[in-house]
Amino acid sequence: MSVEAGMAHSTAAPAGDRPLVEVQGLVKSFDGRVVLDNVDLRVWPGKILSVIGQSGGGKTTLMRCVNLLERPDRGRIDIAGETVFSGTKVVCRDLARLRQSVGMVFQRFHLFPHLTAVENVMLAPMKARRVSEDEALENAVRLLRRVHLAHRGLAFPEQMSGGEQQRVAIARALALQPKVLLFDEPTSALDPESTREVLRVMRELADDGMTMVIVTHEVPFARRVSDWVVFVDGGVIVEQGPPAEVLDRPTEARTRAFLTAFDEPAA
Amino acid sequence: MFEVEWSRYSSDLLDGLLNTLLYTALGFTGAALLGLVLALMRTSDSWLLRVPASVYTELFKNIPLIVIIYMGYYGLAGDPIGLNLDVLQAAVLSLAVFYAAYLSEIFRAALVGVHSGQREAAQALGLSRTTTFGSVIYPQGVRLALAGTNTMAVDMLKSSSLLVIISAGELFQVGKSASSATFRTMEVMIVIAAIYFAMCYPLSQGLLWLERRMRAGAPLSPRRARRLRKARAMLAGDAS
Repeated sequence: MSVEAGMAHSTAAPAGDRPLVEVQGLVKSFDGRVVLDNVDLRVWPGKILSVIGQSGGGKTTLMRCVNLLERPDRGRIDIAGETVFSGTKVVCRDLARLRQSVGMVFQRFHLFPHLTAVENVMLAPMKARRVSEDEALENAVRLLRRVHLAHRGLAFPEQMSGGEQQRVAIARALALQPKVLLFDEPTSALDPESTREVLRVMRELADDGMTMVIVTHEVPFARRVSDWVVFVDGGVIVEQGPPAEVLDRPTEARTRAFLTAFDEPAA
Repeated sequence: MFEVEWSRYSSDLLDGLLNTLLYTALGFTGAALLGLVLALMRTSDSWLLRVPASVYTELFKNIPLIVIIYMGYYGLAGDPIGLNLDVLQAAVLSLAVFYAAYLSEIFRAALVGVHSGQREAAQALGLSRTTTFGSVIYPQGVRLALAGTNTMAVDMLKSSSLLVIISAGELFQVGKSASSATFRTMEVMIVIAAIYFAMCYPLSQGLLWLERRMRAGAPLSPRRARRLRKARAMLAGDAS
């Protein structure tokens, strides 16, 4: 199943392209409980991959393994053609540089509460890239405009709504010009209005050709923006394919059960 | 009521006051540095660092300061150590080692109190361990620690009066000499108490003010103030 789907997808990718993220045979367990069991995943440049599934099914862990916030037990991870994890070892010499090329947006934002929005966006370029203050500031202002929050640039996180905080978090992740952005349930902690704001920004990023991996419960959103949908359950990839197949004509009983449980409206 | 000829004691009082401030300033600096090291040790993953730091903290928290001062000046000087510290060294050392135990508890709670997501977010941005601590964890920890640290600073300023037992020439000792020379103990002590109050009250109010400023996110360094001014100028057109 996964090989076939992978091939089908590779035909959709431009010839000669290599996956930006390639995960092979990934295994991860916590205290003997297997959370990810032999998972393969490919993310192509400029494409959007959504990961859906029950809570506790391993989606978030899969994502956290990609930038090695979580250390896998076994498997192989390649980012932009460079092997960063192989066998049972981290082989990437420079984890900081790897993480700068893989941006991450968290469910609970995790903005730095002691800094204003604009300083949150400036911090990593200045500290990790040694970008000058003026350049970092200019870039941060541009990114805040891009997430429609320049008017909140001097606000502190606690003065902002959840949706605003999450959009600042997106700008913060973009500030390092990552090759791929990982979203870990970016709207699960938000009210409907905030969810709309955040999804709008994500859709705009998608339109701009950003490569993204999105762990989400927003099935309609996944259908609209994704090039590829992966359904994860019990630590394995149960089904994957284009959204029209996985979300509208799922072949696996478990996928159908999950989508029915969501009880999403027909249109 | 006031019959003591205070003009005769004014220069002694000034010396005593300066000594008190000197012992407190140096002692507190030492205590804060040692306390931070102890707090970092106690939050470490390695028990080789954790255990000694815990033992130290428990030990010094449960011994009276006056005993430590006595040990620092007379104890270290005698057999078998034979380390002769002058009064200033002994005073600063005893205040530092004693208060480091309390400050380490406050600092440890503050470091643990910073949400674990903060470290992760910093890691995910590719910040080094040093930058993560210096730019993300430490500034948030300082805010959490400030209230407790404030109390300890004022407490140290008052407790430096115990240094009288090694004739450290601080404010209380000057008062004691003045009262035995004049037999006007109550009058002298009221003046001494007023001077302590006049130092401690502004200190604690000042630290409270600082705490409020930090909580409001106001810039404390000129560099950050400049950065925020620049940001304000650049964002001025975007105000809604």
